[in-house]
Amino acid sequence: MDWHQLWTILATPDNVPITLLLFVIPFYTWYGLRQSLANDRLIEKLEADPALAKTHHRKTQPYRPEWAREVHVWPYLLRIEFLAAIIVTIILFVWSIVLNAPLEEPANPTLTMNPSKAPWYFLGLQEMLVYFDPWMAGVVLPSLIIVGLMVIPYIDENPLGNGYYVYKQRKFAIWTFIFGFIILWVSMIIIGTMIRGPGWMWFWPGQTWDHNRLIFEVNRDLHEILGIRNRWVAFFLGGGATTLYLVGAAIGIHKLITLTPFSKKIYKRMSLLQYVTMQIFLITMLSLPVKMVLRLLFRIKYVWVTPWFNI
Amino acid sequence: MSDPNNPIPEQDPVVHSSLSKPLYISAALLVLCTVWALYDEVYAMRPWKSYQSRFAALYSEYLKKITPVEEADETKVKASGEYKRMEQQMADLRAKLGPKMSEMEREINQVLTPKIIDLNNAYQVLRSEISALTYQIEVASSDSSKNSLRADIEEIKKRMESVSLPEPDGALKKYEYSYAKMEEDLAKWRERKTQLLDRLAETRKPIMELDEKMSRFVADRGPELSGSVLRGLRAKLDNWDISIRQIHVRDVDLVDRCESCHLGIREPVTITAADMNGERAFTSHPRKELLKIHDPERFGCSPCHNGNGIATSSVTKGHGRHKYWLWPLYYPENVQAGCQHCHVKEIVTEFATALNEGRELFRRRGCIGCHRYEAYDRDWEELVATGQTIRNLEQQRADYQREIGVSTRRADVAKENSEAQRLYQHADNLRIRISGIDSRIEQLDLRTSDLWKEVKKVGPNLKDVRLKLRKEWVPVWIKDPHAWRPGAKMPTFRLTEEEVRAISAFIWQSGVNGPLAKHPQGNAERGKEALETRGCLACHSIGEGSQQEGGDFAANLSRMGEKINYDYMVRWIDNPRQRTLPYDPHEKRDLTEEDYKKAGVPFVFDNEHTVSPVNGRQLLVQNMTTMPHMRLSIEEARDIATYLMTRKRASFSFPPAGFMDDPKLKDRGRFLVRHYGCAACHEIAGLEDEQRIGTELTKEGSKPLERLDFALLTHDAYKEGWYNHKGFFENKLKNPAVFDKGKEKTDPLERLKMPNFNLEKKEVDALTTFLLGSVESPLPPRYHYNPPGQKQDIIEGWWLVRKYNCMGCHQLLIGQETVFMKMKRYEDPDWKEQRPPSLIGEGARVNPGWLKEFLENPALSESNKDRNGVRTYLKARMPTFYFSDGELRKLVLFFEALSNQAQPFIPSRLDPITEQERLLARALFTSEGAPCLKCHATGDPAHDARATAPNFVTAGQRLKPGWTKRWLLDPAMMIPGTAMPSGLFAREGDRWVFAGPLPAGFQNYRKDHADLLVRYMFSFTPDELARMRSSARSGN
Repeated sequence: MDWHQLWTILATPDNVPITLLLFVIPFYTWYGLRQSLANDRLIEKLEADPALAKTHHRKTQPYRPEWAREVHVWPYLLRIEFLAAIIVTIILFVWSIVLNAPLEEPANPTLTMNPSKAPWYFLGLQEMLVYFDPWMAGVVLPSLIIVGLMVIPYIDENPLGNGYYVYKQRKFAIWTFIFGFIILWVSMIIIGTMIRGPGWMWFWPGQTWDHNRLIFEVNRDLHEILGIRNRWVAFFLGGGATTLYLVGAAIGIHKLITLTPFSKKIYKRMSLLQYVTMQIFLITMLSLPVKMVLRLLFRIKYVWVTPWFNI
Repeated sequence: MSDPNNPIPEQDPVVHSSLSKPLYISAALLVLCTVWALYDEVYAMRPWKSYQSRFAALYSEYLKKITPVEEADETKVKASGEYKRMEQQMADLRAKLGPKMSEMEREINQVLTPKIIDLNNAYQVLRSEISALTYQIEVASSDSSKNSLRADIEEIKKRMESVSLPEPDGALKKYEYSYAKMEEDLAKWRERKTQLLDRLAETRKPIMELDEKMSRFVADRGPELSGSVLRGLRAKLDNWDISIRQIHVRDVDLVDRCESCHLGIREPVTITAADMNGERAFTSHPRKELLKIHDPERFGCSPCHNGNGIATSSVTKGHGRHKYWLWPLYYPENVQAGCQHCHVKEIVTEFATALNEGRELFRRRGCIGCHRYEAYDRDWEELVATGQTIRNLEQQRADYQREIGVSTRRADVAKENSEAQRLYQHADNLRIRISGIDSRIEQLDLRTSDLWKEVKKVGPNLKDVRLKLRKEWVPVWIKDPHAWRPGAKMPTFRLTEEEVRAISAFIWQSGVNGPLAKHPQGNAERGKEALETRGCLACHSIGEGSQQEGGDFAANLSRMGEKINYDYMVRWIDNPRQRTLPYDPHEKRDLTEEDYKKAGVPFVFDNEHTVSPVNGRQLLVQNMTTMPHMRLSIEEARDIATYLMTRKRASFSFPPAGFMDDPKLKDRGRFLVRHYGCAACHEIAGLEDEQRIGTELTKEGSKPLERLDFALLTHDAYKEGWYNHKGFFENKLKNPAVFDKGKEKTDPLERLKMPNFNLEKKEVDALTTFLLGSVESPLPPRYHYNPPGQKQDIIEGWWLVRKYNCMGCHQLLIGQETVFMKMKRYEDPDWKEQRPPSLIGEGARVNPGWLKEFLENPALSESNKDRNGVRTYLKARMPTFYFSDGELRKLVLFFEALSNQAQPFIPSRLDPITEQERLLARALFTSEGAPCLKCHATGDPAHDARATAPNFVTAGQRLKPGWTKRWLLDPAMMIPGTAMPSGLFAREGDRWVFAGPLPAGFQNYRKDHADLLVRYMFSFTPDELARMRSSARSGN
């Protein structure tokens, strides 16, 4: 266990935000979910007790009928926000005094640093390059991510959950978010920051980042593994496998969407266009972990090799 | 809902709970953070502020301490009789001139100046009014308005102004002035004032002169700094301003703030750390003379010292001792690396002793054999380039030849007459071009022959092994040269037993067989004496351990007898340049007697016979060794060889080496010899054109650290703090195999090839310094030391001086020690005279034409070469180096440039000497009072046996008259400790007069005596020498 190495990675000024992410994201996820579940319970109670629903005030717990149903923003909200602003300012002060800007040596066009890393917020994209060809990982998927974020309000017309934390009413949306952002995006950033060392090799935390390290790792295309030489057979094989995934994923996602009566209700309300759009983005999103598994566990480089793109 | 552990409060927490406590705490924290930020901003990030206040305190304390001491010195000087006399003189002068001066000063200051000022004010008012009107005239459109304006001006000029002017007694008096009158008076008074000022200065002159004399008197005899300077420094400290001290050189974007902490660097006082309470940051620059050459305002600090000149936030950052700063401050042992940044073309840089040592080691230990370094080994590169050019020219010549044929044939069948004429003309033009090419080839051929004289190898010629060496010794040596001879130039390679055998076998079998004369034994006793006195030890050393004596330029000769063949040794001592067979670089083989016989030419090859009988090209006719031809008699060579044969250990034995004749090993051996780059230093048959096997090191110091292969030691280096260039170089030089540590290399050929030189710490530091300084300098080229003219000659010359180890015998730099100065025998007063002459000021001393002749043939005689040309009395021999023409030129220019002599040399004309003067001079030379002939040789063998100075016959051609006169007057000034006495002449009026008893006839001689002797010497002839000798004899 190379503690020195671990400390170097965690304490590099550049990596401090990521180190903080490690703690902050689980905490706020838990915190948000806790509130959502409390609200769920309250909703249940209020639905059962219409009298209470009329008088119940803004908070889940505790409750006293004589308390005001609503309170003014000023001063009750603003004073808390003011306090928060002060605390954040203190944190920023301390941070900027203690940690200097992570300047490195002047760029040398004849020498690429190793490992050569994007800024932390792009490390997820960089990590995707391991699994897809540059055209997919560098152009298609990032564009789809942005477009996907843009279409969310057009797909998700569920008015419930606006302005308050809730779980039951937005299960699908919450899980999609947890899966897409926290599991895929954040964890890829963390992998890119802390796990990927020289040569973009996989180093477990505490392993020494050795520039001389050599590993035996041969990645092959699917058809090569199956021993297929013929270009056309390989092409159709890859296409077939990809189609198989698409169909399988579509069915799986459909099953998920129609799993509960509540989500079925929402599904019924969606237009065909909305449904198809959602399917496309979800299938694409799912393809990332699938490809990661194929690549990391089965050493498959590409499933489908075409002259224009590789998947 | 009602949780017993969490009872519902009575009051609404949102409305009723108070936030004042958290608000108070966070507000307090915020204030604290603000204070912290301010402290950080003002103080913590600006450590130089505390440095400055500390410096001001310590320095003013130190100045206070030294001021009385220095002032006491000054008072002492001022108390001296001479100073008192000058003070008296000053008082007299002041008394005499004072009234006159104050009268003039009174008139200037009290009468003229106030009047001029007041009148001038009035005059300026009028003048500006007129100027404004004049401008209006110039821009006015109509003639009538112009005319009316002119009239206005006239009006003004006529106007009478009343002006109050001060009288000498201070009262004001009114005057009526017109414009013209004002001009007139002003001019008059001003002229009067100028006159007075001139006269005043004239009157004051003697006082000023005396004053200057007095302060010079104090400065010459008193302390380093006068009291007034010290007081000035202290006053500066009283108004100390804490601020960034910055050097900004705009055109190179250089910002150095080093002096914000290192405040004492440029102080005129010499400050040591001890003076400043042990704070090393505050010392003054230890080499002030370097700052004089490199003005910090122009050069800054970091271009030499490295470090981050802009950073002021911490010592680590300022010094650039930081992972990401590419140019960390040099450590003291490598500080001279900074010189190499700009002094890239030099091998000797003044003041940079450690760097010079590193550069010299790089050359002498053979680093250059494997690693290219720009500026080194230029002769080889030029040789290769010249060969290439010759081949290109020949190709071009052949092309032209063909084109001539084509042109002529086409002309023969041309239909048009004009077309035929054009083609014939073209062919003729090409013929002229061919003749041009021929002359170029001829020049290049000459240069090639020159270059073949210049190229040298670090190690000996291995073609001669069969003639030269004891066979069994070869594998022992190859296995570990340092075990057999500590300090050997040849490094220890990492070889397996099998490799040693193969290499030995190849070397042995590739050796040539040639004629080698047999020699009878000589006298070892005499040989020892010769070896120790002829100058061999200027380069070679002999004796082991504490017994070792001599130079380290060439091999230690202690165990010669164990390895060498006697006959070869004799030939080598007789003339080391003598090759067994000449090498033909075109045929790529050594020519044998057969080749000469076939061509019908006698089998002779030497510096006069350099043409190949096979192809008419230049041959390599001498061994590529720097060892010169000592011009000893063959008997003496035998004596020395016989002595060397006795140098061996009492019992020595070598294991039998029958395998060396095994032809099966030869191919493997050749492969290994190429693999390990042996041909870099040795001449080996068949491998004459081998390329360098190592990496180029010209810019090694700025190679990205990532490209230096620390291999498995990367992490250790990082943790132990030597993951930097310095660490890499030092460890690599200490143990070149170090970066193989832990590596799994099954094949020995995969291992790092660099051999171990067993360098000492000092040598490692010197080489590290050299390599650290070998950088791609960020400074623009004009900062590089690339001087024009004579300074360039000096740079070039040092390369030769180092190449041939001139400094082993001669002193060339002030303060430099030669090997002779360090040898026990030469410490004896009798033997001091036997040291080779110092060459400081040689360029001013000798005639460059003569110097060229002398360097070419130091015997200065065609018939008898077994002698020194000038100092015949010296046992140490100035050898023949067989310099090429280019080298001769460079050396002569070097000596001339070192002494700032104008080029080309034009001898100054001397007044011809009359017969009467000749008699006088001869009389003086041979008189009892003048000791000239006691030491100077006269050509009389009996006398010359005791002579310790050169013969005068050569003086005329050899010396420069100006120098000779200066030498006569004060030789100790040029060469302290010389046997030539000083004070032979005394100043008498405007001439020098011989200080001893004068021979008869001098009473009426009114001219300069030193001049007379110089003119006499420069008109010296052998006849005159004989006359002088006989008159000396009769005189004695």
